[in-house]
Formats: sequence, C-alpha cells, structure tokens
Amino acid sequence: MKKYWKFMSILVVILLSIGTFYVKSVTSEENHPEFVIETQSGDAKEIEALILDGYYSDTSTMNYKSTNVKISSEGSTYERRSFLDQIIGEPPAVIKEYQEKYRTFMRGKGTDLNSFSETDQVLAYADVDYKTDSFHSHDFNFPISILNKEDASVQSFTVEIPDSENMDYAFMEDVQMIEDELYLITNNMIRSSEGSYDEKHVYTIDLNNQTITNDETFSQVPERQEGNHIVAHIIRTNPTEAHDQMILLEKEIKVIEDHESSYREEVVKQEGISYNLATKEKESIPMSDLPIDSELSFFDGSSIYFIGVEGQEIVVSPYHLADGKAGEEYRLQLSGDADHGSAPMTTIKDGKLYLSGQQINPKLNMNATDVIVADVKTGDILFKGQITLDDSEAKNQYELYLHEIHVE
Amino acid sequence: MKKYLQLVNFEFNRIVKLFTVLLGITFVAQMIGVVVQSRSYLNLANEKMYKEMMPQAEFLESFGQMSFLQIAKSSWFFGPIALCVAGVAFYIFFIWYRDWIGKNTFIYRLLMLPTSRLNIFFAKITTILLMTFGFVAVQLIMIPIEIMVLKAMVPNEFRLDMGVMEVVTIIPELTLIFPSSFMQFIFHYGLGLLAVSVLFTGILFERSFKWKGILAGLLYGALAVVVLLLPLLLHEFVLNNFFYPIELLVLEIIMGLLVLSASIWVSGFLLKKKVTV
Repeated sequence: MKKYWKFMSILVVILLSIGTFYVKSVTSEENHPEFVIETQSGDAKEIEALILDGYYSDTSTMNYKSTNVKISSEGSTYERRSFLDQIIGEPPAVIKEYQEKYRTFMRGKGTDLNSFSETDQVLAYADVDYKTDSFHSHDFNFPISILNKEDASVQSFTVEIPDSENMDYAFMEDVQMIEDELYLITNNMIRSSEGSYDEKHVYTIDLNNQTITNDETFSQVPERQEGNHIVAHIIRTNPTEAHDQMILLEKEIKVIEDHESSYREEVVKQEGISYNLATKEKESIPMSDLPIDSELSFFDGSSIYFIGVEGQEIVVSPYHLADGKAGEEYRLQLSGDADHGSAPMTTIKDGKLYLSGQQINPKLNMNATDVIVADVKTGDILFKGQITLDDSEAKNQYELYLHEIHVE
Repeated sequence: MKKYLQLVNFEFNRIVKLFTVLLGITFVAQMIGVVVQSRSYLNLANEKMYKEMMPQAEFLESFGQMSFLQIAKSSWFFGPIALCVAGVAFYIFFIWYRDWIGKNTFIYRLLMLPTSRLNIFFAKITTILLMTFGFVAVQLIMIPIEIMVLKAMVPNEFRLDMGVMEVVTIIPELTLIFPSSFMQFIFHYGLGLLAVSVLFTGILFERSFKWKGILAGLLYGALAVVVLLLPLLLHEFVLNNFFYPIELLVLEIIMGLLVLSASIWVSGFLLKKKVTV
C-alpha cells in the first residue's frame, strides 16, 4: 500500500472535499421563515381549502435564488426545486393529474390548461399548430383529440383553420365540449396593410364529421390606432368546469398625453357581451362605468362578477345571466398601501370569493398582505386576515411573491 | 484489479509533477488576486474617504461592499482555472502519445505486461478523472482559505460575507464546475467521462491506422454524438413530443451508457488486435 501513497492521498482529498461539499449542500437547508395567515375576523375554517403558491427570496445576500413556497391555513411549506424537478418541469396541478390518470392520452400534448375540457364522459384536447418560416406563418390547423373515459378509446384528427392566409399567430383561449360538439375559442392575430389586429374566434367543430360547422368572429380590434384602441378579454372561468356561455369584455381605451412623453390610458367605453356557444345567441350586458379589471373578473357559469380595483377597495358588481339582472354592487376594503404592489388575486369557488394580495416586501414597507373570503353574492365577509411572518424578530430583507391562488 | 491499481498508480505518478505545479500556480495566482482586489478596494475607500472627505455611508452607497464576488470574477481567479482545464484537455491526448514518443517507446512495454490490455485504457481514463476531481477538490478547499484572507484584510463594515456555497451558486461559470446538487454533479462529470472515452477511442483509431485512423476516429465521434442525441431528435422531429421528460432522461442515460460501453469495447478491440507500436 505504501507505494500508492500519492494517488491514495489525492483520492482521500477528493472524497473528503467533494463529499463534504455535497453533504453540506443537502443539510444546510437555509432557514426559511414561517408565514402564517393570521385571522383578524371571521371563521378560520373558511381558509382551510385555500392554497397560495409563490416564491420566497432572501434579499440580504446576493444570492438571487428563490424558493417555492406554499402558504395555507397551516402555515408555509418550502419546496426546494431539485435538479429532477427542473428537468421534468412542473405542469399545473390539474395537468399533472391528467398525466397520471391518462398517461397514454396525454403524450405529446401541451401543458396549457386552456387546451383541455373535461366532462363526465370525455377529456377533450385541442391546440393551434402552425409552421413558421422567415417571412410568415402558414399551415394553421387544430390538432384535436378526444378521450372517451368509459372505453378509453381516442378520436384524433386535425382540422385546417379557415381563412388563415393572413394570420400571424393564434393561440387557444378555451376549449368547451357540449354534447357532440367541440367549441374552440381562439385569439388570432391578423396581418393587414394598416398593421395587425387581434380577433377572437369561436369555432364549432362537429365531432361526427370532423369538420368546422361554424366560425364566429368577435371584436376585430385594431391595434393602437391614433390614440384609441380596443382590447377584448374573455372573462375567466374555472378551467375544469364546463360552460356553455362565453363572456367577452371589450374596452375602448384612449391614450392621453399627459405631459411631454408621458402617457396615461383611460377606458372610454366598456362593453360586456355574453355568447351562448350552443345556440349562438349574443347578448349585450349593461355595465357600470367603474373600471373593471378583466384579470380579476370571474364567470361561474351562471353569474358574472365584474371586479375592479378603486384605490383601497375592491369593487364587485355581479350580473346574473339567467334573469339578465345586475346584482347589488359591493366593496371590500383592503388594508395597506394600495399605491405599491400589484392588484390582488381572486378566485371564486362554491359561492365564495377568495382574494389574496401578491407581495410582501418589508423594504417597500409592505409587511403583510390581505386574505379575504366573502360570500360572492352578498359581499358578506366570512374571513378576513393577513399573511405575516410568524416571527417578528426575523430579518426584514426578503421578498415574498405569490402568483397563484387555488381552492381545493 | 491489482494490476489495474498498479497501472493507475504508475500513470498518476507520471502526472503528479504537472498536477502539483498547476495547483501551485492556481493557489498563488488566486491568493495574489485576493490581495490585489482587496488592496485596490481599500485604496479606493481611503482615497474617497480621506482625500475627498466622503462619508463612509455615502462611499458604501455608491461603491458597494467588498465581497468575494469581486475576486471570483477577476482573471486572477479564473485564469488559473482555465489553465487547469487546458492542462487536462492537453493531457487527454498526451497521456497516450507520450508513450509512443521518445527513444524507447514505452507503449511497447505497457502492451507486453501480463494483464488485459483494456486495463491500460481504464488506468489512463481513471488518471484523467483523478486529475480533474483533484483540481475540483483542491479548489473547494482553497475558496474558504481565500475567504479567510479577505476577512483579515477588509474591515467588517466594508465587507459582505459569503459562504462557499453562495459563491459557487452565484457565478454561472463556477456552477458548471461545482453543480449545486450531487445528481447534477454526476450528470456533468458523467458526460465529461463519456466525452473522454470517445476521444480515447478516436486516439486509438489513429494509433492503429494512422491517417486513415483519424478519419475513422472522427466518424466514430460523429456517430457517438448522433446516437446520444437520437432520442431527443426523434422526440422533437419524428415522434411529435411523444415522450414525457422523465422517460427522455432515462433514454438519454441508457444512450450514454451504450456509447460508453461501445467506446470501451472498440478501444479494447483496437488495443488487442490493431494497435501498432
């Protein structure tokens, strides 16, 4: 053994040094602080099903790595993304479930929830596919797959998208399956001599004949024309529930020149349209003048909740589709400074409106953020609380950024 | 096994001088780097605070604190690392060719040893690995020492302290050498080992068939790359994203092992049947 001492000693150095490095990297889990949702009023039971996803980053070191954090009524749990997670990717929870349940069917399909529609009998998938060369995009088509849950049979076909000569790109906004028909709601970007514009389309696809039977165009909105432009949004729904109505919010926006080279946008006109996918009936929805945030608004299948932010308040105006009547508007008070930080996140489930702020950053004087659960019809507050650090002694150089709210 | 260890020991002893010289250069250059960078920071602080009467808080505001990052980003730190990388790259070829040059061709004696000729291949590849990991391991020991020197030179209030783990994760070039998880470490260096085995096979092709062998070696290398990328190419262009990421990873590992065993087998064949002295 003695004559091997040189290479034995380098071997020992290698094993000790690299070994210690990786043992330390596993055991020296950074000390992450505990975040809790502190009850201020109401029943803490209301938030038992609520889960908030976000990132936590320690800003005191120069290490900009952030850690995934989940906050619920039970506190916070941190998840370090392992190397494998980074390779495998983290699809949304619903997609993950589909991949486990329907492994073969989900092969080669994207992870965008908007491309899927699930009913008791089927899981439907549709996407927009096209080729791009250096000059323009072409060969637009819809790859469609329908999985019959009962006998596990799959129907797959592609349909060419009509009138796609001038299309630059298109993406799927929603897929709905009603009886034997599939409804694809897309956003198409159209090229024209005066610049390009967006169109919302609803394509009806007959599954028996595998053809497009109807193509409805909504809101041909010219992009940025002399100060005024129109934007159109489809009001959010619960992606895993089927709906036969589509709600479109159109806003005419005026760009006002405030001072030199400083611009401000003002909503001049907003209009709501409800469209019945099956009967193809369009109806206009009367709307108040309040600025509506289309990202926050929600459609639960029977009522639309137009939600906007006004200073420190969240304004909710319900509209019931069945009787065509607007419900009573109500306001939820937010604490903290509304000036900084982004708008809160909202979601609606089982008649309850869940709301959460997005950011905590002590450096910007945001030490806590609101969590509110309210009866979505009346606005009665069922729970009001705040996300705060459990340990107030903890250091204040960190940032918490929440990006997803879901209710289980 | 004993023959293999003897051969490794023998090969390692032949590079130990080069190895220690490179380590020495690294240590000295990086230490100079720590001193030079700390000095220049302190000089700047002195000049601003005593000559221009800038308050300490203002100085820190506009120039920031001194941290190990300034050192790690300088060429005093990266230069020697690049030199070591170049040293290993050079030695991958030299470890074979040195046996053929010189008065008494050494390869003749190696090939006559009463052991499997494949052991020569294994001993040489092990030596390259030992050399690489040796540099990595010693660099990991050097960084804390350098941090200590920095601490001794720059006063507390001007310093932003960082651990080895932080330094290594912040600088992307260093994450390449010291991946932050052990699994990644295995993947990085596994890929490196694979590349070395393919290069060795190419070298043995050249040693067996001279000029024609260079062509054969290049073809072998190209084939290895294609085989390795085959699952990815099929997945992307033929099978319409058929595989789940985890399946793709497993397939890639299988392909890697396949290429590695092919390289070992071909090298063994060349060493036994074709190589010329």
